Amino acid sequence: MSFDLNQVIRGRVWKFGDSVDTDAINPYYLYPTMEELKKHTMESYRPEFPKEVKPGDILVAGRNFGCGSSRPGLVLREVGIAAVVVESVSRLFLRNNISRAMPIFMAPGVSGIVKDGETLEVDYAQGLVRNPATGASVALRKFPPLIEKIFQSGGLLEFARQRYLAETAR
Amino acid sequence: MAEKLLSRHNLAGVPVKAGDIVEARIDGAMSHYNFVEPVHQLAVQAGFPEGLPRVWDPDRIFILLDHHQPALSQELADANQLMRRHVERLGIKCFHDAEPGIAHQMMADYGLARPGELVVGNDSHTISYGALNVGSTGISRVDTLYVLLFGELWFQVPNSVKVVLEGHHPNYPIAKDIILYLAGKYGDDFAGSMSVEYTGSLVPQLSIASRMCLSAHGVEVGAKFALFPADERTREFLRGRTDKPYEPLEADPDAEYEKEIVLNVDEMPFMVAKPHQFGNVAPVDEVTGIKIVQAQIGSCANGRFEDIEIAARILKGRKVAKGVRFIISPASQQVYLQCLKAGLVEWLVEAGAQVVTPGCGVCQPKVGFLSDGEVCITATTRNYKGRKGSLNAEIYLAGPLTVAAAAVAGEIVNPREVFREL
Ligand code: SF4
Repeated sequence: MSFDLNQVIRGRVWKFGDSVDTDAINPYYLYPTMEELKKHTMESYRPEFPKEVKPGDILVAGRNFGCGSSRPGLVLREVGIAAVVVESVSRLFLRNNISRAMPIFMAPGVSGIVKDGETLEVDYAQGLVRNPATGASVALRKFPPLIEKIFQSGGLLEFARQRYLAETAR
Repeated sequence: MAEKLLSRHNLAGVPVKAGDIVEARIDGAMSHYNFVEPVHQLAVQAGFPEGLPRVWDPDRIFILLDHHQPALSQELADANQLMRRHVERLGIKCFHDAEPGIAHQMMADYGLARPGELVVGNDSHTISYGALNVGSTGISRVDTLYVLLFGELWFQVPNSVKVVLEGHHPNYPIAKDIILYLAGKYGDDFAGSMSVEYTGSLVPQLSIASRMCLSAHGVEVGAKFALFPADERTREFLRGRTDKPYEPLEADPDAEYEKEIVLNVDEMPFMVAKPHQFGNVAPVDEVTGIKIVQAQIGSCANGRFEDIEIAARILKGRKVAKGVRFIISPASQQVYLQCLKAGLVEWLVEAGAQVVTPGCGVCQPKVGFLSDGEVCITATTRNYKGRKGSLNAEIYLAGPLTVAAAAVAGEIVNPREVFREL
């Protein structure tokens, strides 16, 4: 599943605080199937989230998003989150998003420019995220070229497949 | 040390600096129960209907059933069965199947990670082997699939933060108090994506168990690596566990650090993390009096001999408070055996504690679920909301001594008030 980094993403914002953990995002111990997870993701912070989230929404959070285990945030994609925009992200959560080509952006200061329920625009090509209602914007951090390449090819899984096929065809 | 580690393993063969992206050669890959469900499913998704078509080196892959041994449900028993089939098909030699325990402790017990190596695993606490001077870190499941196929993986070379530990080690473990103190003072991401390097006069006094507690908790402060120098204790630990040669990493005297933190443990109080975040820390005196119904010691952070030994020593001749469930889980069979031989299990059971199968159970909601309104104090890794079942339960994290004291008192107390012999 590839996605184009350079396509502008626009959506309604769900705001969260600092150090949102993977047990909250992906409480797999309690809900082992994706169908159940979808009904419970993020409820430990905002019980209404799994009920009211809509495809195309954007999740904005503070620093250290996705701290905790190595579990991925696939469920966020499944409930329709179009992008995650954070002050900072835990390294393993970031690795997960890169390897699955799930849109995540680091934009220090983002919490200050947008309120819960407002619209946010993510413009990777321009290197910024902005609040179209107020005009306020902050810069987002660009990824190194190898990471952009992994995103663009649809994640590390696709990368692995192509590399294996190329090696074995020889 | 991180720059040296990744320079040494850089496939391009040139030295690298913090911030560079490298493709690195992997020395060892650990996988637990995830090997079958997610990794196998990913392989199918990647277009390999039979699962992984090969592994890069069957001698460098370590599969440990860990979280799911013994199987807790029919589903898990079936998954374990599938795993056995794939391990056999792929010719993987190191497979700990019929053995309960935490993968990370077994990796250490069996000498599967050595100083100076680059070792990865699809579990966040893979970082634990930094205690043995191993550049080890957790990776994602897709990363794992990539490593299993090619033995290579990309990394960004991290900046380093130097943590200087000074002072005298008391006769009980304090590693948990140290990391909680640091997370409380500098934030639960003070080492975010960085490599933590421990040094200072306390380090030679720290057991390998205490170092593993600190390295494991590197995750809870955001770190990529959490490295200790290789010293006489390291070599002694590895003697008899591995006969392969190794080349430890050493910090250059003029190494550059993004931050430097100094902590003198002589001035450090007992520390507790309050619900529901690791960095929500207070000295124990600020939370005394909170009634508890469950106390636990275990996990890849605190399930080692010294953690259980302090509880047993303290409980000998005392009783666990009425109504308190004191659950202790050794990190591995080896640790369990050591505790049995030292007579610890007898003291613990006599005092009213429960000793349960080694493994991850006490750290997750598998053994000892909490109900609404219940309060638990635990020497395990995490206190996130819902970690032990109910979203309306409260989890406090503390070192094994503070947990044992609470188990005896039935409420959070300063251990010195319960155990005058300290
Ligand atoms: S003990 Fe807990 S934190 Fe450690 S590996 Fe097991 S589940 Fe993870």
